[in-house]
Amino acid sequence: MKIDLTILAPYVGFLAEGALLTAEVCAVALVGSVILGMLVAIARTSQLAWVRGLAFAYVDLFRNIPFLVQLFFFYYGLPEIGIYIDAFTTGVIALSISGGAYASDAIRAGILAIDNGIIEAAEVSGLPRRVIFTRIVLPIALRTSVRPLGSVLINMILTSSILSTITLNELTGNARIVTSETFRPFEVYVVLLLVYAALTYLVSIAISLLHRWLNRDMQPEVN
Amino acid sequence: MLKVENVKKAFGDVIVLDGVNLTVSPGEVVSILGSSGSGKSTLIRCINGLEKLNDGRITVDDFDVSKPRDLAEARKRSGTVFQLFNLYPHMTALQNITLAPVEVLKRPKAEAEAEGRALLASVGLGDRADAYPSQLSGGQRQRVGICRALAMKPRYLLLDEVTSALDPEMTAEVLAILAKLATDGTTMLFVTHEIEFARQISDRIVFLEKGKLLVDLPAEQFFAPDGGLAQPRVAQFLSKMRKD
Repeated sequence: MKIDLTILAPYVGFLAEGALLTAEVCAVALVGSVILGMLVAIARTSQLAWVRGLAFAYVDLFRNIPFLVQLFFFYYGLPEIGIYIDAFTTGVIALSISGGAYASDAIRAGILAIDNGIIEAAEVSGLPRRVIFTRIVLPIALRTSVRPLGSVLINMILTSSILSTITLNELTGNARIVTSETFRPFEVYVVLLLVYAALTYLVSIAISLLHRWLNRDMQPEVN
Repeated sequence: MLKVENVKKAFGDVIVLDGVNLTVSPGEVVSILGSSGSGKSTLIRCINGLEKLNDGRITVDDFDVSKPRDLAEARKRSGTVFQLFNLYPHMTALQNITLAPVEVLKRPKAEAEAEGRALLASVGLGDRADAYPSQLSGGQRQRVGICRALAMKPRYLLLDEVTSALDPEMTAEVLAILAKLATDGTTMLFVTHEIEFARQISDRIVFLEKGKLLVDLPAEQFFAPDGGLAQPRVAQFLSKMRKD
């Protein structure tokens, strides 16, 4: 068999559309999972036992169910009881919920690592709880959480390929269409491998830069 | 007036404060001496509301720290400087100082920053406003800590062993600032092991022992043979501290 990547030339635009959709789903789901992760991380440190219990149950539950099963439940299961959600929204919700479970772990670890004295200093200066959380706790927690959160995001990009199973034509979905039209799976999937690797590599570079910026006080001073 | 009335505090079975009474009037400098574990730091932590009282009452200008509704007002009136500085690591020296004035007192940012810079200059850190805590020495961090407390214009400054984590040289730079504050009439409640310094700047010295306030005397009398020294525990403590 002769390998010939040029046969994919007519499909570059089509594959790029898929890649864009992957990026869109993941971007929205990233925001969703970080917000959800934050709320759950707060809930897990709540003084109310039932709030804590609920948060722990959510994390344990969604980390222990295959993503594909969650996805099928949302997309094929829920319509049975009259809840219809389109493929894109289903993808975002499913990725957010499963990503949120992992994100909450990363954020919680970051919060628990904060020196209590720093929070006490904020309390005695009279700062309201909301300000302490947004201006002190969260920024300091993110300094350590940003790397594990990056792993959650990268995992999410990889997992998003499964969304092709619910008719969402993201990168993998479009690649399957191209394969069935060209009968050249080798070429198509080689390209797919490279695109996913490049995508996640870019994300990890961005995370490293963000980590450096959040910890900018640790840099040697520029005089 | 800062009033501590019959305050009791226990951690589990361990009684840390056992009926403490203490009053600090505006303009006064009161030092608290006592060996480690005598309850000094816990007393400060009760005054700024970090620990709940088991019994008794603490009021800062009549605001009761045990009442959630009063606590915010009480905290506005007192500023705390900590042994381990507790600066916000992700903020510059100046941001550490301006956060509370802007967020709590609703001061305009530019005004708070101008005042913050003036405070930093007054402690010899005028050129370090944009440095992060990790880029400052211990003594410099504690000076920022003092500025952060002063920026709220507290009526009472609570100092909890603020030089215990510093080497002698850095201790000297921080004490010089406290001496200046004392001369300027800042009201201070000063937990310390720096006995000679306490003697110089204090109006009164109190001695805590196992959660009880054994002595409360004007500074000079505290060191007089018929004053504080008449108490065997105080004499023992002072001679031991001076030997070290």
